[in-house]
Parts: sequence; C-alpha cells; structure tokens
Amino acid sequence: MGALDGIRVFDCSDPKGHFAGKLLAGLGADVIKIEPPDGDIGRSYGPFLDDQPGPERSLYWWHYAAGKRSLALDLHSADGLELFLPLAEQADVVLESCQPGRGRPFDPVALSEHLPELIVLSLTPFGQTGPWRDYAWSDAVGLALGGPMGSCGYDNIPGTPPIRPTEHHAGHISGYFAATGVCAAIYERQQSGLGQHIDIAMHECMGFTIESSAPWALYEQHPLIRQAGRHAGPQPTEPWQYPTADGRLINIFGMPRSEASWLALVGFIQEHGMGPNLSALELLDGRKRQLGLQQPTVAMMLADIAEFIAAHDAQEIYAGAQAAGAAWSIIRTPDECLDDEHWHARGFFVDVEHEERNRTVTFPGAPYILSRTPWTHGRRAPMLGEHTAEILCGELGLSRDELGALIAAGVAQ
Amino acid sequence: MSDSEPNTRPPLDGVRVIDFTWIVAGPTCTRLLGDLGAEVIRVENEQTLDSIRFGRPHPNGFQPPNSSGMFNWLDRNKRSVTINARHPDGLDLIKQLIRVSDVLVENYSSRILENWGLSYEEQRAENPEIIYVSLSGFGHSGPRRDYSTWGPTAQALSGLTSMSGLPEAPEPAGWGYSYLDHMAGFTAAAAITAALRHRRETGQGQWIDLSQVETGMALTGPATLDFTVNGRRYRDTGNPPGNRSVWPQAAPHNTYPTAGDDNWIMITCTSDAEWEAFCEISDHPHWRTDARFATLPARLRHQDELDENIGSWTAGQDGRALMQRLQSADVPAGVVQNGVELVLNDPQMKAREWTATRDHPVIGPHLTDGLQIRLSRTPAHRDRPGPVLGEANQYVFGELLGLNGARIDELQANGAMG
Repeated sequence: MGALDGIRVFDCSDPKGHFAGKLLAGLGADVIKIEPPDGDIGRSYGPFLDDQPGPERSLYWWHYAAGKRSLALDLHSADGLELFLPLAEQADVVLESCQPGRGRPFDPVALSEHLPELIVLSLTPFGQTGPWRDYAWSDAVGLALGGPMGSCGYDNIPGTPPIRPTEHHAGHISGYFAATGVCAAIYERQQSGLGQHIDIAMHECMGFTIESSAPWALYEQHPLIRQAGRHAGPQPTEPWQYPTADGRLINIFGMPRSEASWLALVGFIQEHGMGPNLSALELLDGRKRQLGLQQPTVAMMLADIAEFIAAHDAQEIYAGAQAAGAAWSIIRTPDECLDDEHWHARGFFVDVEHEERNRTVTFPGAPYILSRTPWTHGRRAPMLGEHTAEILCGELGLSRDELGALIAAGVAQ
Repeated sequence: MSDSEPNTRPPLDGVRVIDFTWIVAGPTCTRLLGDLGAEVIRVENEQTLDSIRFGRPHPNGFQPPNSSGMFNWLDRNKRSVTINARHPDGLDLIKQLIRVSDVLVENYSSRILENWGLSYEEQRAENPEIIYVSLSGFGHSGPRRDYSTWGPTAQALSGLTSMSGLPEAPEPAGWGYSYLDHMAGFTAAAAITAALRHRRETGQGQWIDLSQVETGMALTGPATLDFTVNGRRYRDTGNPPGNRSVWPQAAPHNTYPTAGDDNWIMITCTSDAEWEAFCEISDHPHWRTDARFATLPARLRHQDELDENIGSWTAGQDGRALMQRLQSADVPAGVVQNGVELVLNDPQMKAREWTATRDHPVIGPHLTDGLQIRLSRTPAHRDRPGPVLGEANQYVFGELLGLNGARIDELQANGAMG
C-alpha cells in the first residue's frame, strides 16, 4: 500500500510536470497521464532504445512515465474537453502546466471553483501572474533565469560561461514542490473536505534552491563568484577537486572538523609515507584548516593532500578517507553508481519487466524508503493510449462505438 | 498567517515537528514544513550548535549564535529549545516531547540517534504514530552506512557533478552550491506530507529512511537507462555537453555573451518554428535558408558555426533588451541571473512580491524571501523569523510538557537543558 493509495491524479502536464507526476505515482497515487492523440512530446526525447527514435522507445519517457496510465485524449477539442470534465469530477487532483496566455484548454482556477473538492495544481514556469507569465521557456532558460546556473561554472578557464547542469533540473526542483503541495493539500482536505488551487511558479522554486546566493542577496546585496567544482562564494576559494593517479577526481570537501578526526585523516595519509607538513602543530587548530579564507596553513595542507591524491588510486583514497571519518568522494558518472554494492544492498536499483519486448530493464528507484508505505516504481511506462479504453469505456461508461468515433475523429487514441 | 476563519489555516496547521536537523539539508526540509504551517521545534544543544548559526553573512555584526543571516534565511518559521540529549534527564525530555509530536526529523550521521537511545523502535515506544525521518548520506542500511557526505560529495557520488561541465575541461564544473542538500530536504518534505496523509487515513506512523546520494541518483534516469539499456557509459559520447542539449536534440541551445562583463543569455530553439522565429527577429533571416542551418540535423552537425554566428550577433547587445526582443517573437531566451538580480531586481519576482520585510531581535529589520507553494484557500506563511537560541524553552517545558518552575530550574541546573 502506498501513502497516496486511493488518490487519483489526472496529469495534463507536459515535460515541466513529468517528474511531479512520477513522484505522485511513486507514492502510490493512480496517475493518469493525459496525452495528445499523437503522443506526449516527452516520447520524442532521447536517448532511445538502440538509438532508434520512436514513441515507445524513449528512455526519457520510460523513466518519467513509469507507473502512470496513458489516456490519449485531445483536450483542445470540444469533444475531448467535454469528456475531461466528468473525469475531473472523479479525480482528487488535476495537474496542469500550461502557461495562462498560451492557449490552455481549461482555466485551472475556474475548474477549481467549479469542483470545490478537487485539488488543482498549476505548475508553470512563472506562475499565474506577473509580466513574464507567458514567456517562452525551456528547462535551460528556466535554470538561467531562476538562479541555479549563475552559481555553476569555471573560474579557472577564462571566458567560459556559467554552466547549466544537465538533465531537466528545473522540472526536478519544482516537481518536489508540486508533490509536497499536493500532499499537504490532500492532508488538509482530509479534515476540511475541501480542495483548492495551487499556483507553483518553477521560477520561484528555483529562486529558493540557490543556497547561500539567497542570504547574500537578501542581507548584503552581494552576488557570488562561480568557481569550478565547488561553492560559489563572495570571494575566491581553494579547489576541492583533485586528480588521482588512475585518472579520476576526488572531492575533498568535508575536511575533518574535530582534532580526533583530523588526526585520523593525517594518520591515513602518513601511513602511505606522505603528507609531512600535515603534522604541523598549527593545523591541530580547526580554524587553521578552514577552507575558503585563503589561509597559508590551508595552502600548505592542500599541497600535501593534492600530492597524496595524485600518487594514489581513487578507490583507495575514497575508502581510506571515509574510514578515517572524512566525507571525501570519488566523482562518478551515473552509470558507475551501478557498480557500488551499497545501493544494491539497499534495493535502490529496480528491475522492471517490459513484457512485450521480453526484457527486464534496470531503473534508478526510490528517492526515499518509507517503511510502511513503500515507494513503488510501478509498471513500465505506458504505451500511447494504452489505457484509453479502460478509462473511457471501463470507468466513464462510454460504449466501444462512441470510443471508435472519437478515435476516428482524432480526438482520442 | 491566515486568520481564524474556518478552513483557511495553512495545510500543516496543528502538525508538530521535532527538528534535530542542522547545516542545510534537514533545515531545508523543516523550512518547507514551517512555511506550510507546521509547528517546527528545533532541538539544539549549546555544546554542539548548528555551524550555520555562525555562517556568513552577519548583516548586523557577528554576534553568534543569533546573528547569522544564513541561519535566519534557512530556519525561519521555527522555534528553538535547548536540550542535551546525552544527559539522562535531557533524553527523558526528548521522549516526553516525542509523545506530544507528530514528526521527528534528523540529518545526523547514521548511528547518532541510535546511540542516544532514540532508534525508531525506541521512538515508537513513546509514540506509536510518530513519523521518523532520518536523512543521512548513505542511509541507515547497507555496507557503507557509516560513510558520510556533504552536499558536494553526495553530488559527486550520485553522478550529478559529472553531468555539469564543458566537454573539453579537465574537470566538471559540477554544482556551485549544495544542490543535494536542498533536494534531499525537498525529498524529505514530500515524503513527510505523504506519510501524514497516510497517518490521518490509518493512524499508522512510519520510518522514512533517506540517503542523500540516492536522492541524487534518482535524478539521473535517462543517463542511467542509456547505460542499462544501451550499454553506453556517460563519458562515451563526449559528455558533459556544456550548455548544449544532447537530449532532447535542439540547436541552437547554448549561452551567448552579451554586453558588459561576464553577462550571458541562454537561447534555446527546441523546434523548427522557434528557430524560424529566431532568424526573423535576429538581423540574420538568411540563416533560415542557409543549408548549414536549415534543418535540425544540419544545425546539429554545424553547431560550432551556428554558436559562433549567434555569439557574434549577441555580443555587445544589452542582454535584457535582447531577451525582451527574442521573447516578443516567442523564442525561449533568458539571461543568466545571479542571486542579486534574481532575488532583488527581477521584475517577475517583484510583481509576485518575492521579498517582504520582517524583524529579528538581533539582525533587525531584514528581507525574507517568498513562498513557492501558493495555496488559494490555506496559504502558507512567512511570519516568524529564525529563532533565537532557546527562545521556546518556556513554551516547550512549561506549556507543552507541563513542568513546574522548580523542575525547570532543576533541569537547568543539572545540565539537561542547555
């Protein structure tokens, strides 16, 4: 049983809401993805199975639509919209992501007023109001305007731009706000019996997700300097990423704070016959080890550490530093996470059957382990319109002939 | 906060959260819960204070533990009580607090609460309906449960760091802040609100075990599937791609320089229609018919020339005026904003009243930032500043736990509070 067992969500969103819908499905809601009859645009996003594009071959879609059902219905047609209203009446939540002035099929605020028990979530780039509300948008433009990108990039390669971390993070960030907003509204509804409209601007979700850029702006009107592989800051700081003997990189953020853990790390390095300057008495004072202040003691410490890292292999450094209590890490690529037994022991990776392809596919799984209401990956992503008949005929009571007419008219698929 | 009209209180009104969090990940979670109306009580100890209480900036001078702007930003809408969990009477106070609370959140290393005698089973013995959230680097199970992370090292281990950077650079750019501290906090908030729903439905509490690295790995779906399905390792194709888009295929999709020092605009044409609109509005309509750029496959093949041409056109232009011009033609374009431009000067943020002035006993009048989840009937709030250390001691010990003055004095004297 999932935490949102019994909750039905009609998800009319485009890629902006794909992650939000996935989170609700993972928590146990019955998420019905409403697609245009020619398919959600996410089906055209790669990578693709065997690099061959096709609506059922998008690995993006496999990931973000897993556990959802597909209802292919054209909400921009009068007939489609007419069917949507009784569907919404049966729903607990309607999720939509259309900007107010860009030809949306229905007004979410009016829908919410029409169905007072319904929770209507609008997850849009800039919200329902304001001068930018209808601005043309993409995930990357969102990350540029919204703040995350401004802190990322290189200080050590002149002339390079701020860098956008890849993989739809505007959608990821705001997806969590959407899921939390929906869950909170459902919780409130359990008591009041009432739904409401939730206006989430992705721009505002990102506007919080910028860590110290926010307080430095709010209190000091001070922008931060972006720096390679480490935190942007009000001043330049020392590097955190160091190359190893085997061509990898180690991130050394998480230098020990207590004297005991510092001595453990020094012991680990000196066991290898390196780090002579790490025994300096002044380094026993934690303040003299603090990164970010351009201290000479830190320069000396980091020179020895860099030399040690350059002379050893990444795995040995990572395991030894962690055993000594320092939170150092290897910089891994996503595929390398599958080589770490720890994640398998926790059941993070999930095998999902794709029966018609006669194959099992391994997916990244739960972002949280809920002891009593486990997150579920759910069934493989739905094929286009896979559940149209089940929903329109089975649940809404349309006849097969009526559905056939809708399909012939291009309203459903 | 909403007034006392029925059914307008914030959605988590009446939910009490015991907050054992520190640094950024846990406090991000409890800030969201506080904004949504939960009563969040930070349990702090004077010997092991949250280092964020010392973190810069200190807008009204360095007067720790109550002068940090960073702390006030991250810990607004919370209360603070001081209890020493390592003191037997302190532990007993915490157990009493668990009996009258709904949620306990902590982001310590994975054995700390267990060592205090506050494992999930021990919490349940006090309150069978408690929702316990542990948020650690590697989670509370598995062979590496004793490894630890900070935001940046969790990002490195999850794969996310490697997915941000220029292809030819010797190192990834990664993330310029602790993205996974925020994301792990958001993940926890979503899980808690879902668990609250389940509890109101069934009366059952539960334990939510979060690994910060897992919250990052969950965001690498398509790249991970490219490996598990197609056998392609992330670096095989020259990744990371800078500001270009490998998936979905799009070109142009990049940052371009504009007038001034280190100013950039992101322009992304994700369809032929957007590319045609771009050509029309730019001063180079002939690009549309140029064989190198006429179709998406051609633009992808000639992306270096495409980016060079566009960069020459944008260089020297005012970024904001250019954004307006491109937006007038419905081309997705946005300048790269820094924190000050975003938080203080952004016209969209201003129109939606992103900042508001609040007061704080040590920091004084200051700006607090906005609410992300805008609920029409039961709005969230941002009324209370970050708590002065121990400001809620009287409320918690006297009102919530019902201790008399003599007992409070005794606990203060013996070191259980503090």
